[in-house]
Amino acid sequence: MKRFDKGYIYSSLLSDLFGIFVIASIFLKNFFSDKSVETEDILHIIPFFVIVFVVVCLCFITYRIMYYKTSGYELTDTGIKCNRGVFFRKRSILEYSKIHAINKKQSIFHRIFGIAVLTVDSGSTNTSHQAEITIIEKNKTVDLLLQELNVLKEGGVQNGIDSGEELLLSDKDNLYNFTSGRKMLYTVINIVSTVFFTALFALLSIIVIGICKLMIQHDFLGTWGEYFLYTFLIAVAAMLLFSFFTFIGCMIHSFVGYHKFAVTKRGSDIVISYGLLERHTNTFSYDRIKAVKISQSLVQRMLGFATVKLEVIGYTHNTDDDNQNVDLGVLVPFCKYDEVGEILAKVLPDYVPDIKQTKSVSYFPFVSWFLLVLGIVISVVLILTVTILSLFNVAASVIFAVSVAIIATGIVVFIVKAMSAALSYQNNGIAVSDDKITAYYGGFVKNVTVFNSQNLIAVEDVTTPLRKKKGIASLVMHLKTNALSNEVKVHIQKDEISEELECQLIL
Amino acid sequence: MELKKLDKSVLKLWYIRSAIISLTLIGFLVSIITVLIASEVPNDVTIAVSLAIGLAVTLLLCLILIMPALRYKMYAWGYDDKRIIVKQGVVFRHRVVIPVCQIQDLHKIQGPLMMLMKLSGVTISTAGSNFDISTLTTDEADLLIDTLEQNLEKRVEELKNEKI
Repeated sequence: MKRFDKGYIYSSLLSDLFGIFVIASIFLKNFFSDKSVETEDILHIIPFFVIVFVVVCLCFITYRIMYYKTSGYELTDTGIKCNRGVFFRKRSILEYSKIHAINKKQSIFHRIFGIAVLTVDSGSTNTSHQAEITIIEKNKTVDLLLQELNVLKEGGVQNGIDSGEELLLSDKDNLYNFTSGRKMLYTVINIVSTVFFTALFALLSIIVIGICKLMIQHDFLGTWGEYFLYTFLIAVAAMLLFSFFTFIGCMIHSFVGYHKFAVTKRGSDIVISYGLLERHTNTFSYDRIKAVKISQSLVQRMLGFATVKLEVIGYTHNTDDDNQNVDLGVLVPFCKYDEVGEILAKVLPDYVPDIKQTKSVSYFPFVSWFLLVLGIVISVVLILTVTILSLFNVAASVIFAVSVAIIATGIVVFIVKAMSAALSYQNNGIAVSDDKITAYYGGFVKNVTVFNSQNLIAVEDVTTPLRKKKGIASLVMHLKTNALSNEVKVHIQKDEISEELECQLIL
Repeated sequence: MELKKLDKSVLKLWYIRSAIISLTLIGFLVSIITVLIASEVPNDVTIAVSLAIGLAVTLLLCLILIMPALRYKMYAWGYDDKRIIVKQGVVFRHRVVIPVCQIQDLHKIQGPLMMLMKLSGVTISTAGSNFDISTLTTDEADLLIDTLEQNLEKRVEELKNEKI
């Protein structure tokens, strides 16, 4: 069994040292900035600090060396074997024919020592959050392994990895170009979304603050009003801070995370590569794709842009967090909605969305239950608040103001829901063709999921007695995906569509 | 396909569970009233708080005691060699169709109460989601698992031959 490259030890230790340094500097900064600490205290703590630092470093060094000694991989005639782990040793064997996805990852520490991490996954539901095989090797070797495994999984013959041929992704093969201009626009639109809601929030805040000030001036609310004003000011400040961090996050995400984003097609494989600090090269077969999801946020929708994501089982981070895995499946981070069909026709011709054949049959069911629940909640809150305030002998003017605030909040929430319901009513629909199902759903965020009917696992319809009388049902389609919530829900359709969908199930 | 109703003992189990939850809720209400009385809170506050919580608890109790009967009435399930159908839900009525060939694993689950009453829950795992047939008699559950296992093998073979 071949051991991983020694660069693993050095890169891991460098990353560990970086982590220790960050933690130590935070600790030391707090320690030295404390004015009550005397020079004598500092002299006493230095030997203790050095000992702890040395012990922690030794632990890391021992662990990394042991991991290196106990881990390795081997390419046999039928499959790939891998051993790894120090305390919990894991031995994995994966047949070439069962390989689902091959991903190459290179962090900044890996790049310093010229190594890369190759993960090979079978797409098993039980291990969907972690790859079965992990190989840490020199970057060139990983590229060759990637090339060789791609041949082997298609039933090719093993050639050995010393052919010297390099896997390169040329720009002219790129099927989608995420240019700097698009990145900037993508960042701006993401920011506009936040700014839009922040502005809305700020506008409401100004109105409320103005009213509060007026009430305080006329001594209408007394100290209660002051408390309310302070709370509101803190909330506004928090929102502005949040917007600022979102701006920074968006910039980093689009320019660093999607650096040199490229989609290329090689035979039956699709290769997606991206990233500056951590470079990913993800390879998967066309037939492993379970669904394509086109989504549009409210702002993207208003300006006519969209994001296209893929659902490929076994194409995940080593995490249970769906949100992190969503990033991995990005096929087109940002494009015009009208271009989606054209791009998909080039990359995934079987997943071009069909035009909606059905639409939601009624608007009222989208809000009926929400209205009922909201009504009950607002009534209960109102009764309880008024009762409690009365028990504490709070002035009638304050009780009136609080009651108006509760009712106004309820009305605002209902208006938002009504808007979302109107968008859902407009969006929801379905298109069923020979082997393909296109589901349109979502309110503020519009989603279109296109999938092959062979990936439809189960069909569920949800109705109420009244809706059943009128022949209305919501449809839930269970799919094979990485996500924990692997359902697509299309609301308020004619219930006969459920029978049509059942016909698409492979029984 | 003819759908079956659940065994009567399932309703008994659901009522026992409801009784346990009801007792917990009543215990919660009693302890709050005791704390209020012990901490010498003014009488009108104690009465108001007790009334508010009492009202909420009474409404919940009504729901808890009515739900098992309604749930039992609406629940139906059935299977043949190609599919499993489960109908459930009181207000929102769900009807799910699961193809037998999509089954990945079958699980039988028993809690302490279920063991005492010789009842079992069955979970059907697929590549998409997990589906529960909430409670069956243990004999029914065993028969369901055995039959589904056989049907699955048969269907996989049939589908393989169809492909060839």
